[in-house]
Amino acid sequence: MTDKLILAVPSKGRLMDQTIEQFASAGLTLRKTGNERGYRGEIAELDAIDVAFISAPEIAWYLQTGRAHMGVTGEDLIREQITDADQRVRLLKSLGFGQADVIVAVPDYWIDVRNMSDLDEISAAFRREHGRWFRVATKYINTTRRFFAEKGVIDYRIIESLGATEGAPAAGTADLIVDITSTGATLAANGLRILDDGVILKSEAKLVASKTADWSPAARQAETSIIRAFGL
Amino acid sequence: MAAETARKFEALEAQAQKIMQVFIQAGHEAVSPAIIQPAGVFLDVIGESLRARTYVFTDPDGAELCLRPDLTVPTCRLHIERNGDAPAEARYCYNGTAFRFQPVGAGSAHPREFRQSGIENIGASDREIADAQTVATIIEALRAAGLADFKLRIGDLGLFRALIKAIEMPDRWRQLLTHLFWRPDAFRAELHRLARPADENFKTMAAELRQGIDPTDVVRSERAVVDYLSANGIEAIGTRTVTEVAINLMWRLADAKSAPLSPATVALIERYLAIAGPAEAAGAGIKDMLRERGAAMSSAINAYHRRLQLMAKLGVNIGQVEFCAEFGRQLEYYTGFVFEIVSPVLGPASPLAGGGRYDDLMRAAGSNSDVPAVGAAIHTERLLSVVQGDGA
Repeated sequence: MTDKLILAVPSKGRLMDQTIEQFASAGLTLRKTGNERGYRGEIAELDAIDVAFISAPEIAWYLQTGRAHMGVTGEDLIREQITDADQRVRLLKSLGFGQADVIVAVPDYWIDVRNMSDLDEISAAFRREHGRWFRVATKYINTTRRFFAEKGVIDYRIIESLGATEGAPAAGTADLIVDITSTGATLAANGLRILDDGVILKSEAKLVASKTADWSPAARQAETSIIRAFGL
Repeated sequence: MAAETARKFEALEAQAQKIMQVFIQAGHEAVSPAIIQPAGVFLDVIGESLRARTYVFTDPDGAELCLRPDLTVPTCRLHIERNGDAPAEARYCYNGTAFRFQPVGAGSAHPREFRQSGIENIGASDREIADAQTVATIIEALRAAGLADFKLRIGDLGLFRALIKAIEMPDRWRQLLTHLFWRPDAFRAELHRLARPADENFKTMAAELRQGIDPTDVVRSERAVVDYLSANGIEAIGTRTVTEVAINLMWRLADAKSAPLSPATVALIERYLAIAGPAEAAGAGIKDMLRERGAAMSSAINAYHRRLQLMAKLGVNIGQVEFCAEFGRQLEYYTGFVFEIVSPVLGPASPLAGGGRYDDLMRAAGSNSDVPAVGAAIHTERLLSVVQGDGA
């Protein structure tokens, strides 16, 4: 490992394109070095920076463990994947893309359940009737636990769901979901409704700095240059 | 996390022997329940909040397992495995490792891997005797390990239940308030909601639905729900039935038609929850408080005083016992008496030992009948650090 600053950015798709655009509008040219399919890169205007193009879900882990000094990724992933996130990373700036809400949604058919305290209210009756706690399908396990605990809802079970979460209630594998949505159209198509107080997080892509990384003087200097370019 | 030194290991082993000897002499059979537990059963009992601190994993067969976060549930499962549903009285003791994930910055009094020495008393029908014996045995074990300076704190969910029962209110409100007891913020919010005029609690329901719901007629209410759904093009999906939705709405309407809790009742409940102090005086205070209101809850109060007397008879210095009405345990499975041993060195955030009555746990762990049970465990690393005088 050199004492260069390591910047972790998404390696493909719209997230990568929009990251490159945002750096460009800050006057920084983010580009791959060598092979177009490679995973290393640089910022043309700045020395002492290694850019690592990696898959978006891994970026939070890089920042948490200090493998990267800075990174670009969704706040939802930061909050979900890093326990005690505020002690391990600093969220420096919203980058204006990747907007989506992490929400709690129940079957629209539960006309008696409008908010989290209604949900708590039905938990005991649900258990009596079905012999189990109600199940929440989600890939946001830690986020769900934290939010439910904050709202005083404790009698439920989480079912980990890695795809097509919105389909779980209709399929009978779960009773409600915690998922990410940008327009709500998929939820409605699956007969689901967001609870009145069920928006857990309004997420978007963030420029993030790791507190756990090994910050050499050169890395600090490079960070300052990036922060200045972004007008912070 | 650093590995422990051989010296520390030996000291813990020696301490465990002293503790286990006390337990065994008090009539507890030493058992060694499995470290790896089926996650499903376990997590159903302990809930998602402790699950967040439990190491859960999947084995090559795809079974979801966990490292036990405490030894009470594994001991209950062991008891059921041995006895099935046959009524059986048993006393167990154990000394073994439990595992809990700890957040960043948790001090050395909160290791992720720690040894619990504890006792469980399952099936004893005289609850106060079993409660008092549990406290006395734990204290004797702590003394045998060399602990001199400590404080005993107690609480009693039975008193709270009796208080709620003595106050005039719909049964469902009692269930709600008891359900929320362990969550002070939610409890307070619900208490004040029940004290507001009905309409305010009910106006979120659509008018046409509200007209169709009849708190005394399930069939009619169900029809109202079905009509509302089809009028609004809402499809019924998932496991919850139309009947369940209708019944919940009927309850709500019944709630709305009941007289709200009076300010005096709310004040009484809040005054009760604020009680904290010497145990005997607290008991007398609660009795007076209720007499003022003409409410009787004598059997719970009698049980409370009887338990204190039994503890005194077993050598517990009850002049030093502190009662706290809001004494809450993180684990919701406690149903009655609860207690905690706190040292001045580590303070109340890191109790040296704790336990209580968990009359619902056996059923949750797989028994087909209700079985009274009480138990407690010592956090052995904390005890050793206090006894050896090396602080936290």
